Amino acid sequence: MCSFDLTEDEKDVLQELMNVAYGNATAVVAEMLDAFASLSIPNIKVIQTDELLATFSELKSESYFFSTQAFNGEFRGESAFFINQDSANNLAKHLELESSEDLDDAILELTNVLTSSLTTKLSQELNTEVSFSLPSLSKIPLQDISKAPAFQYYSQVIVIDTDLNFQDQQIHGKIFILTKDESIQWLKTKLNSILELLI
Amino acid sequence: MAQNKTQQHIRTLDIDKKIVANIDNGIIVLNEELNIYHFNKWLELHTGIKESEILDKKIDNIFNHINSKTLKRKIKTALRIQTPTFYTASTSNYLIPIKINQLKNSSFEYMQQDISIIPFDEEKGLVALILTDQTIMANTNALLEANIQTINELNSELLKERDTIDKKVLVIKFDKTFRIVDISQALLKLLHYDKEELLDKNFLFHEKYHMSKECQMKLVSAMKELKVLEFEESTLSAHGHNVCFKSTLIPEYNARGIHVGFIIFRENVTDSRRLAQSQEKILASSRSAAMGEMVSMIAHQWRQPLSLINTIMATLKIKKELNALDDKAINEAFKKIQTTTSYLSDTIDDFRDYFKPNKKSSEINILSLFDNSIFFLKEEMHQNNIEYNIEVEGNVSINTYKNELLQSIINIIKNSIDAFIYSDSKIENKQISVSVQKLESHIAITIKDNAGGIEKDILKRVFEPYFSTKSKNGTGLGLHMCHTIVTGHLKGNIIMTSKDNTTITLIELPYSILKGKK
Repeated sequence: MCSFDLTEDEKDVLQELMNVAYGNATAVVAEMLDAFASLSIPNIKVIQTDELLATFSELKSESYFFSTQAFNGEFRGESAFFINQDSANNLAKHLELESSEDLDDAILELTNVLTSSLTTKLSQELNTEVSFSLPSLSKIPLQDISKAPAFQYYSQVIVIDTDLNFQDQQIHGKIFILTKDESIQWLKTKLNSILELLI
Repeated sequence: MAQNKTQQHIRTLDIDKKIVANIDNGIIVLNEELNIYHFNKWLELHTGIKESEILDKKIDNIFNHINSKTLKRKIKTALRIQTPTFYTASTSNYLIPIKINQLKNSSFEYMQQDISIIPFDEEKGLVALILTDQTIMANTNALLEANIQTINELNSELLKERDTIDKKVLVIKFDKTFRIVDISQALLKLLHYDKEELLDKNFLFHEKYHMSKECQMKLVSAMKELKVLEFEESTLSAHGHNVCFKSTLIPEYNARGIHVGFIIFRENVTDSRRLAQSQEKILASSRSAAMGEMVSMIAHQWRQPLSLINTIMATLKIKKELNALDDKAINEAFKKIQTTTSYLSDTIDDFRDYFKPNKKSSEINILSLFDNSIFFLKEEMHQNNIEYNIEVEGNVSINTYKNELLQSIINIIKNSIDAFIYSDSKIENKQISVSVQKLESHIAITIKDNAGGIEKDILKRVFEPYFSTKSKNGTGLGLHMCHTIVTGHLKGNIIMTSKDNTTITLIELPYSILKGKK
């Protein structure tokens, strides 16, 4: 078993922290989109990168937008956001966007909001700060995604799978928090200190 | 304490303002309603608008193209989540229109901008927009994208060509140590090998059992000297079939010009080799067929002299019985027999010479050549009442292979005689006539008969091997051999035409086989 794997207790704490962070993100997204929105309870998993790449193969038939955003600090890594074409179209309709550039911009905004609110809240709970780079849309075709550098530099991936539900339309997205081993190690230390406080 | 004083002194420095004024970024401070609170010097210089002119005014009124809904949303979000929100050059191009005056960035009219919207004062609801010039990056990206597109197109073309080469061209590649590194599918298919069976094998070792020592030596020395070499080789397929190649060895260099190995392009010549071999066989069997015909011609030639000898002997016998035999009669009879037997002997000599192919060409007189030919055939023509005549324009001599030409002419005339013999209808005035003309570059020999002509369909095929209309009696090789000899050995032409009941064979020959023409 890899020393960077999270124990059951560590996973529980992380799930709790993520739930809090996600609640925060829901509110922000609702405000940003100016609509009543709910985010389904996120399904959180910590998996190895190669497992993640295997899950991508299931998405191959669908047309997706894929964006990434790096964050820096003691807890550092990159977030990757997937949103399928239908959801993106629904988003465009909702925001009354006129051009494809506007849609790209809105997807980046959504990526930023989700990444920021998730990691900021998480880092607050973990007593640290993060700064964010500009998000960017990746033009890599889905079948070549395993070759994307972003996925080769990271060993562990925190996968947060969620649905954004609006009153009349559905927007579904997947967000992945990719971290390097050193950050996982840091995260484990932090999670354990929280665990100690709880006990 | 001293340190604290220094620290306090540093604190009093207005670092922020100075940096904001001089930084190589545009900075705008806005509230949620888009009123301008600050417009830094960099922006003043780039837009030509003074901060004092626009303070407290709404930014979307000054720059009309700004989508206020989007900007307000981004500001609100930044304030709400207390982390920056963004505009990126790749999706939004720019927020503040700034004309570019650099030629090298000419693919964009306005400066391409990344903008971070940073929460600045939560209480007052203020954000700072930090604007970064990304034009060079955007240009580079645009250029890169265009180049990637070109490369992809070229790559797919290359792949297609490579695929075609792989499927159609016989090629084998090996490195400097003769280790086989690649073999085209076409070659594998021809030799019935799987790629894995040959990859990494030593090329020379693999081929050495099938290649002559001489060829191996040539190949090795060309490889040493990095020369291009054309050579012929044969190898065995996995099924044990012999495959012949005409090959070209080419040294291979990498992009930096360093020698990395060799490529051999092969052309499969197995079929043409086989054809050449069968051509030789055809010629050989045509010779023996011709020999058979000659024997029958000789028999014709011998019949008359033999019966002459027979008659002389009978006369001698009668004279002896009548006691009328004197020395004079005996001498005359012996003389006649001697002449006749030497004629028989000459016939055999001619016959033997005729079957010796000439190694050297010689100057021959056309008229005497025809006399020789007719010598073999005149008895048969006489028996069949065929009239023969020849017309030669002056004295014609050419330099050629005598016996080959003789063989061809006999064949053609024999063919005409046979046509008369096998003809169904009765032909009056049976004639074979020959005419020889001197032309500028060659001589033309025309052999004409009135033996009934040849049908169009048959005429097309007369020079094909094993084609015969004489069923049992013909080998179908005579005219094919004539064609091979005249066009191949004698560097001439042969054409056969037919109209009504006349067939004409035209043979064109150079004045000298050595020069091709006079």
